[in-house]
Amino acid sequence: MSKDDEYDYLFKVVLIGDSGVGKSNLLSRFTRNEFNLDSKSTIGVEFATRTIQVDGKTIKAQIWDTAGQERYRAITSAYYRGAVGALLVYDITKMSSYENVNRWLKELRDHADSNIQIMLVGNKSDLKHARAVATEESKTFAADNGLTFIETSALDSSNVEPAFQKILTEIYRVVSNNALKAGESAGGPSLSGGKAIVIDASQPAPVE
Amino acid sequence: MSNTISIKNPQAVRSNSSSETNGLSGSPGRPKSAESKMLGDVAELNSKAIRFKKFEALLECAVVDMEQLKKLSWMGVPEEIRHTVWKLLMGYLPSNSKSRDDILKKKRGEYLEYVHQQFFEGKSSLDQALVHQIHIDILRTNASIPLYQNTIIQESLERILYIWAIRHPASGYVQGINDLATPFFQVFLQSYVPLEDVERVDVLRISQDSLNEVESDTFWCLTRLLDGIQDNYTHAQPGIQRQIARLKELINRIDAQLYAHFQSEGVEFIQFAFRWMNCLLMRELPLKSTIRMWDSYQAEGIEGLSEFHLYVCAAFLVKWSAELKKMEFQDIIQFLQSCPTATWGDRDIELLLSEAFMWKSLFGSSPNHLKPS
Repeated sequence: MSKDDEYDYLFKVVLIGDSGVGKSNLLSRFTRNEFNLDSKSTIGVEFATRTIQVDGKTIKAQIWDTAGQERYRAITSAYYRGAVGALLVYDITKMSSYENVNRWLKELRDHADSNIQIMLVGNKSDLKHARAVATEESKTFAADNGLTFIETSALDSSNVEPAFQKILTEIYRVVSNNALKAGESAGGPSLSGGKAIVIDASQPAPVE
Repeated sequence: MSNTISIKNPQAVRSNSSSETNGLSGSPGRPKSAESKMLGDVAELNSKAIRFKKFEALLECAVVDMEQLKKLSWMGVPEEIRHTVWKLLMGYLPSNSKSRDDILKKKRGEYLEYVHQQFFEGKSSLDQALVHQIHIDILRTNASIPLYQNTIIQESLERILYIWAIRHPASGYVQGINDLATPFFQVFLQSYVPLEDVERVDVLRISQDSLNEVESDTFWCLTRLLDGIQDNYTHAQPGIQRQIARLKELINRIDAQLYAHFQSEGVEFIQFAFRWMNCLLMRELPLKSTIRMWDSYQAEGIEGLSEFHLYVCAAFLVKWSAELKKMEFQDIIQFLQSCPTATWGDRDIELLLSEAFMWKSLFGSSPNHLKPS
């Protein structure tokens, strides 16, 4: 099917956060420019991709959308492996989803690569009348914890594109810096910890 | 702005060649005259009528022969009597017809008592996190079917799930259980509006007593269904993990090429089969197909259900084998996330079930076959 994808880098990014904050719609807005008012709850994980350009390089983002409910964490943590970016999403109209951000950060610390780039995303910014979490507060929290921060609306699409652009650019910077530090191009860029994050799609498949 | 807001089911967009086999006329591909098609239709109607009579005869007995009922039901239950047959198969109604009314009355009373206990103090006394989780999931349950947009129906389903969760603290409510309640609800509600399309029925015309009955019957049957698969929903979901491991072994036996292709592409079974186990394939099939499938599932018995489901999943995966083998990782995952089943009818389900039955007969009784060679 799609052999159309020639790319320089393949980055795995995970979408995490409480149930109902809009993770699946952020994904569908970014990858298909669609918003679905009654999309079903995500069970397990779902997946989509999109290719963008950063500094003249073609970057393919492989984005994994996870189930938000607590019960699923034991399963979904397996999906953090190999992820170089995470969008930690909360709902600006739901205080509890913001309060849980710390728990999600701990999840990432426990299960993801320590170099993972994390962006805090306050979604549903279109619901201005129902805002429960102040922008300034999240901004401060993000700064204190070394996260980037953005508010988005998957419904009216504001800031969705910039959010993904930004995190993919940050990942690219880290990766290309590391590659420089690592010296030469032999094995392609990698994060500390030895995890290869560039997957070469042209590699021949092992024969059974 | 080029924003699209779509509320349609993405599955509905894809067409499927198997839809051609959904009509009453058999053997696709062979051109038929109008006359022979009509004869075919008549034969089909006749066989339906005969089957219906067989069910009727069974149900009229003072004590229903459950083995016979299971045998008949495996091939599909006529819609008109499905509600009664399901209640019998789920062990909710006793096979002895004499005690049926008393038991129904008792069970329905018990459920209403649970509702009263939980809800009489008002919503503020409830577990708010649980209420919220169930509420947001019910709002997006079968959103494309008008019945489930109705607030009365939504509140009814929310009560069922809340009470089930409170009474089963080892698992509590897990996303996906909301889906599992709907086939029961829809089949039972249908019996109160026999001549209408239940998916579009005007709920206000159904009496409160009838709705209460549907709600409590759904609660008890859902409870029985979940009793058989509870470790699918406890911490770390061991039931599902086990099923996925078995599915993987099974595919290695029945379609080694597909298995090898998945291996070389780095596709892990948990990436797609988790949902298949968690929601009993309901997310991959139209609701009406699920209902037909559950005729056979219930005929397998609560103990046999999850075992048989494993073989159905294997048959389901192997069905797309030719396509999947040509795909690479991301296309495989995306294909399996939305399999082209939107136009499936009973015939497609029956074919799937018979394939599963075949695999189960081949491998089920001789577990050594499952061991990788």
